[in-house]
Amino acid sequence: MFNGSMFLIGLLQALLLLMVSPFFAGLARVLRAKMHSRQGPPVFQYYYDILKLMKRQEVRPAYTTWVFRATPYIIMATVLLIAMLLPMGTLASPLGSAGDFIVVVYLFTVIRFFLAVSGLDSGSGFAGTGSIREMGISALVEPTIMLVLFILACFARTTNLGVIGQMIASGKLPYTSPVIWLGMAAFAITSFIEMGKLPFDLAEAEQEIQEGPLTEYSGRSLALIHWGLLMKQVLAAALFLAVFFPFGNAATTDLVAVAAGLALFLLKIACCFCIAAVLENSMARLTIYKAPQLTWFALGIAMLSFIFYLVQV
Amino acid sequence: MDARGFFSLAVFLYTAGGLLALLFNRAARTANLITGLSACMASISGIISAILVFTTGAGFSINASGWLPLTRFIIDVDQLSAFMVLVICFLAAATSLYSISYLNEYKQKNPGLLGLLYNLFIASMVLVVTVGNALYFLIFWEVMTLVSYFLVIYERDQRSINGGFLYFLVAHAGTSLIMVALLVFSAKTGSFDFSAFRKANLSPVLSSVIFVLAFTGFSAKAGAVPLHFWLPEAHSAAPSNVSSLLSGVMIKTAIYGIIRVCVDFLGAGYWWWGFLVLAVGTVSAVLGVIYALAQHDIKRLLAFHSVENIGIILMGVGTGIIGLATGNPALMTLGLLAGLYHTFNHAVFKGLLFLGAGSVLYRTHTRNFEELGGLARKMPFTALFFLTGAISISALPPLNGFVSEWFTFQSLLSMGVRGGLADKFWGPLFAALLALASALTAMCFVKTYGITFAGPFRTSKAEVAVEVPFSMILGKFLLAIGCLVLGLGAPALAPRIAGMATDLVGSKTVSVATGLTTFAGNPAQGMLSTPLLSVLLAGLLFLPLLIVAVFGRSGSHPRIDPTPWACGYRYEPAMACTARSFAQVMQSIFHPLYTVKTSFKGKKAAGEYFQTSLVYEVQEDDMWTRYCGRPLARGVLSLSRTLQNLQMGNVRFYCFYIIAVLVILLAVIGL
Repeated sequence: MFNGSMFLIGLLQALLLLMVSPFFAGLARVLRAKMHSRQGPPVFQYYYDILKLMKRQEVRPAYTTWVFRATPYIIMATVLLIAMLLPMGTLASPLGSAGDFIVVVYLFTVIRFFLAVSGLDSGSGFAGTGSIREMGISALVEPTIMLVLFILACFARTTNLGVIGQMIASGKLPYTSPVIWLGMAAFAITSFIEMGKLPFDLAEAEQEIQEGPLTEYSGRSLALIHWGLLMKQVLAAALFLAVFFPFGNAATTDLVAVAAGLALFLLKIACCFCIAAVLENSMARLTIYKAPQLTWFALGIAMLSFIFYLVQV
Repeated sequence: MDARGFFSLAVFLYTAGGLLALLFNRAARTANLITGLSACMASISGIISAILVFTTGAGFSINASGWLPLTRFIIDVDQLSAFMVLVICFLAAATSLYSISYLNEYKQKNPGLLGLLYNLFIASMVLVVTVGNALYFLIFWEVMTLVSYFLVIYERDQRSINGGFLYFLVAHAGTSLIMVALLVFSAKTGSFDFSAFRKANLSPVLSSVIFVLAFTGFSAKAGAVPLHFWLPEAHSAAPSNVSSLLSGVMIKTAIYGIIRVCVDFLGAGYWWWGFLVLAVGTVSAVLGVIYALAQHDIKRLLAFHSVENIGIILMGVGTGIIGLATGNPALMTLGLLAGLYHTFNHAVFKGLLFLGAGSVLYRTHTRNFEELGGLARKMPFTALFFLTGAISISALPPLNGFVSEWFTFQSLLSMGVRGGLADKFWGPLFAALLALASALTAMCFVKTYGITFAGPFRTSKAEVAVEVPFSMILGKFLLAIGCLVLGLGAPALAPRIAGMATDLVGSKTVSVATGLTTFAGNPAQGMLSTPLLSVLLAGLLFLPLLIVAVFGRSGSHPRIDPTPWACGYRYEPAMACTARSFAQVMQSIFHPLYTVKTSFKGKKAAGEYFQTSLVYEVQEDDMWTRYCGRPLARGVLSLSRTLQNLQMGNVRFYCFYIIAVLVILLAVIGL
């Protein structure tokens, strides 16, 4: 069951993600600036921010308890664990025997849960509102994610992410099938929301939703939690890629193939972030109360995909 | 001493302890000590007996027909009964330790009587799940209902009397259906013994009728939608240690009943039986949590979550019945495994949460958690254990709630993959609804923990609270450990529970675990290793610590500000988030399900906004209570009043009744 080299690949993925996630966020920010005809910050701005924050003194409200202090570490550990579970450079899931997509989806809930609890723990009204929105939106998104993944799981007869990816990579479920492109559309919308992008979030006003619960964090805690959330954004895209675009991933644990797979993975993530940035900037921002409309729409598309799945079988 | 001996000892200790407590009714502390210790020792004895049954693999039976009247009195313990005894006794042991201090709340209110009822309640539950004779099953079922009714109305205020009345009505309506179902069995077999029921040869129509009767009757007791409206009223009205038992295990006796009658006796004949159970379960799961989100009474909120979790259990049981009916032993095993595992898990984490709520109540005397806040600083252990329970019930890996939900998802997948078109349709759809329910649960418990234990003190009630006495911490600690063990021990426990399911229907064993990994009948269908996940999580915690150690400035101490920064506004505790604001989000989305009344009091004419204070009031009204519960209660009361007209106190009318009955009887016999 337990495969040493796969475990190392998983660890490699986690470390890689840790290293590159601020870059992608920076990339998205530069792209946005260019589209606004602005100069924009350097691509590596997030690295400088994190390093600087690490050295800063922390300020905490007196109300906070251990939950507030532990949350950055818990979020970081959970994000890294998800990075170990997702197939990124390989076709097989590095830790397929430890968890499947159900585990991945629920680990995303762990991140949200602690983020939201820590927001309430700070006692700030802004952080609390952020917590509510974080949990509310996730509740609206989760059924769609589960439905799309379940349709694919029914095809592949497994919940193992690697096997589902292989099914698509081997063309058993061709892209011409409406099941897959409708599913992909629905999943793309949910990933987009999970990445904390518009229409409900505005990256320059970070207090708003995604980072609302961060309001009271400072210093190294803020650095860690911010870093963790940047990784979470990449992971939301990575989950989408692992399921729908597993091409180029290594079929073996051969070092060269894995390295090539990971390089390609980074390229794919960069594409995702570019597309997301373009979409985000060509879109008006909606009030939070419009959120259900979009998520119902995504659920509707997922249902259509499901109907096609039923008819075809 | 063998399993039988420990079992008898348990029943004896419950009864003796209860009676002894009654003797010390005047000496409150002694009575409470006797109540708690005797119930705890009895429960430990029950646990040992159940574990002995598991390890030896053989059940036991006690035949006491000789000295008890009516039909044969038989205790018949197989693996399923032993499992239920284990679940009941584990929660009862922790709750009883907790009760030693908690019952001091009831010093003035006949503590001895409360102790007797408490012990009898546990004993009756243990007997319900072990008795092997339909008549005694009904008797113990009734004892359980009555004793729990008295416990629900123990506080004797208007709220508990109303809740108790609703409970009394629904429970008895359910019991009468169960009674009819069991009587049909005995009419067909000529015996009251469960062993005879298994061999009953029933026509398809009759067995379906029995199924519908039994399922409706038991689901009334379980609190499944649409017969759930009594549950939040009754469970929230009882003393908290009793609430913990009511929500944690009493409603599970109904799950036991469903499995016993529908799977064991009737052999799950038809697909639609399973589908009905599954559909009722899914609806309960989703509606339960949607209503829970609107609550700001901590005990009502937890009670609504019992509706949700009963739903999840029924989803597992339903897929199990579908598997058995369609001749798919793997699906049958998975479904029952998911249902029974969740039965145990829910008992542990819901028990824990209710004990946590009881601790809050013990110190603050308010159930409205809008008035609390910041309790984690005053009651750190209670907060920690409540958070553990909250994580479990939100199905966050690697704790126990996640494991059983994972199995539920897997059984729905198996159903969707291997079944007919209807299974293919409903499997993924129900899975998506389960995902919705658990996402909402996470939201609800962020709210419950966050508003009650985190943030500023919202009123002075929270500010003066202190940590609860040791025995109350110990009880919760045991259950929190239970959450961990049931989560991380899944690879060891799942095969045992799966074995119990296959043992029940006598099919071949289905493998669900190897080494540290659990899987769903077939490793290729997806694997889960909670021990590995938790080791990895713990290991990965070192990475951020390392990063901080390397990049952070050593020796920098955090500055503690008296108030949060709050984006620069001058801070007041009233600015902190409220439970209402959580509910409001969901109410805007699911508003047809709530009947929300909002009202303004005070002037709000133009120009006067700043002169008078406005009172904004929001009332949620559960639509089921309004359209089912209250009309039912009113209907029964008016019917009873109408029937009172028969008793007019005139002797001539009573003579007339006697003669009328005689004539009817003669006519019947004559025919």
